[in-house]
Amino acid sequence: MSRKYSITICDGPTCLHKKSKELGAAIEQCLKEHGLTDKVRINLSGCLGMCAKGPIMIINPGYTIYGGVTAGDVAEIIEKHIIKNKPVSRLAIEEDHLYNRFFRVFGDVNFFGKQLRIVLRNCGIIDPESIDDYLSVRGYEALARVLTEMKPSDVIDEVKKAGLRGRGGAGFPTGTKWFLTARETSDEKFVICNADEGDPGAFMDRSTIEGDPHSVIEGMCVGGYAVGAKKGFIYIRAEYPLAIKRLEKAIADAKNEGFLGDKIMGSDFSFDIEIRLGAGAFVCGEETALIHSIEGHRGMPRPRPPYPSVQGVFNKPTLINNVETWANIPVVILDGAEWFKSIGTEKSKGTKVFALAGKIKNTGLIEVPMGITLRSIIYDIGGGIPNNKKFKALQTGGPSGGCLSEEYLDTKIDYDSLAQAGSIMGSGGMIVLDEDTCMVNIAKFFLEFTENESCGKCAPCREGTKRMLEILTRITEGKGEDDDIKKLERLGKLIQKASLCGLGQSAPNPVLSTLKNFRSEYEEHIKEKKCRAKVCSALLGYEISEKCIGCTACKKVCPTGAISGIQKSRHVIDQSKCIRCGACFEACKFNAIKRT
Amino acid sequence: MLTPLEIVKKKRAEAINRIVGKGYLSTKRVYVGMATCEIAAGSKDVMEVFQTAIKNGLTDVYLSQKGCAGRCNLEPTVEVVEEGCIPVKYGRVSRDMAHQIIERHLKKGEIIEEWVIR
Repeated sequence: MSRKYSITICDGPTCLHKKSKELGAAIEQCLKEHGLTDKVRINLSGCLGMCAKGPIMIINPGYTIYGGVTAGDVAEIIEKHIIKNKPVSRLAIEEDHLYNRFFRVFGDVNFFGKQLRIVLRNCGIIDPESIDDYLSVRGYEALARVLTEMKPSDVIDEVKKAGLRGRGGAGFPTGTKWFLTARETSDEKFVICNADEGDPGAFMDRSTIEGDPHSVIEGMCVGGYAVGAKKGFIYIRAEYPLAIKRLEKAIADAKNEGFLGDKIMGSDFSFDIEIRLGAGAFVCGEETALIHSIEGHRGMPRPRPPYPSVQGVFNKPTLINNVETWANIPVVILDGAEWFKSIGTEKSKGTKVFALAGKIKNTGLIEVPMGITLRSIIYDIGGGIPNNKKFKALQTGGPSGGCLSEEYLDTKIDYDSLAQAGSIMGSGGMIVLDEDTCMVNIAKFFLEFTENESCGKCAPCREGTKRMLEILTRITEGKGEDDDIKKLERLGKLIQKASLCGLGQSAPNPVLSTLKNFRSEYEEHIKEKKCRAKVCSALLGYEISEKCIGCTACKKVCPTGAISGIQKSRHVIDQSKCIRCGACFEACKFNAIKRT
Repeated sequence: MLTPLEIVKKKRAEAINRIVGKGYLSTKRVYVGMATCEIAAGSKDVMEVFQTAIKNGLTDVYLSQKGCAGRCNLEPTVEVVEEGCIPVKYGRVSRDMAHQIIERHLKKGEIIEEWVIR
């Protein structure tokens, strides 16, 4: 037997309860007895979403799923499946779900083992530009089912029951939003897909659209049917040309096949989708600003209420959801609310897509069940921090989010736990920071972004972020004053309370959360004029060590003549003349100049 | 008259027929990642290599593009799927590597271990 097998055992809470740990131990024991330990790898995975049939184990290659396995079945499975390559049909589960197809076509278990793909179920599997490919993976069946078997109110009930919450970041219950839009009476209603993804380093929506545009379109059709809308808009930024091209093709193909347009598939329901391009203003991700932009006005938010469900595009009731939320809908309909709500935590159901970036080995786009720990994401899926550096913080939620320190690593991800820890779920950006990152500088980076993107309509956001940025800048330049921390906190809380829209209300979060979790770094910057990560160049000092051979290279580049010394002997920096430009550090070929 | 569910099932059957007609089941399937990120990493070049090879007579290969699978740091990715075998994913594929994948893996069935994503 030369072939390698891998056995993946579900480590979700339900399977644990159903003795998956004991099952794992029995498998290990049995493999040892047969001398197969080297040939079979055992993996643990997060909840695989088949809790009713737990404990679940999957044997690859071949993707055989076994359910309800007890320690007593292990010998039979090993002897028949692993040794004789004959799966034990008595225990195998053969169901056609939408969600789990992923594991079947992918190896690479270390990266994908803990993931559960609902939104990204087809991303990286089908050809996004072929409607045939989408149809072959049960595409448009959810739409057909609601048109055949369900009243609009049934659809809303199903979405409500599933416990799906808005994936744009705020986590508003999707079913409730649908209900609020549906109950309005109006001659015209609209559906919007918010694809104005603007967080630095986030690309969840772009990848979803580029990898599987039809699932978003199908979700929107179902939403339109549920609330009684005939027209949908996809608001997407012009910086995503490939996503736009694929959406255009998908919409044209769907029209050709009769999934969009008049009297869809012979029913009484008509629905059409139009693409609207955004010019890349961050504030246009805010729903009221986005609506203004679609109407042709300048993208600026307005006070709510009235909410878009009452008064949206062209003052008509409008249902607006994020790309990821829409892509969940076909799965909720086909696999059912009962199944969907079995995944996740008590208050957050289903999965979340994250764009994993920063100081981490496997950067990438991942989708994990709610309730997985941050540690598991960083170390199991992400592979940990490269170059043996130490973990320092995890930034979630982009410019509206916060930085979490190591003590929060065992937090189980959901909307509420992240908010409690001082950050937010956000749309799904996740940036790992290591010990070489200066937290003050990171806070400054995100504030620069929001200060830049503030639309300027309300004073707290327009003026407040500017003042905060000034304070942060002077701290990083070594000119911090004693009460700067207090000022930052006061300003931050004020901006949170007084701003008009979500952009301003969340803009101080990166500063406030770093002040909470990394206060000592701010204090060091202000009082000791030190940057422990050695990032803030104004706070660095330079010294020449005994390694100096007296080549005079540093002396030649020093713009202020602070370096003295004769050829072939150790040079010295006059600290009173040094302006900390770092030119000598760059010039030295002998590593003789140290940053202090 | 057919219900929407019956219509979609009929359309699905036709779609699957068309895909199978293109050789989906009988051959090795090669998927090249073609999302913005993959293209930025150079996947268009890789795709071109496979397309040219097919034009020049490479047979028994079903070539398709795919969206982003999430392996950002290992792009461009190329996946070779054969019925009944473990799917093989190659990472950081260059033009030259694509040529070798054609010669060694597609033509001779050799899996090029050192390039496989584990």
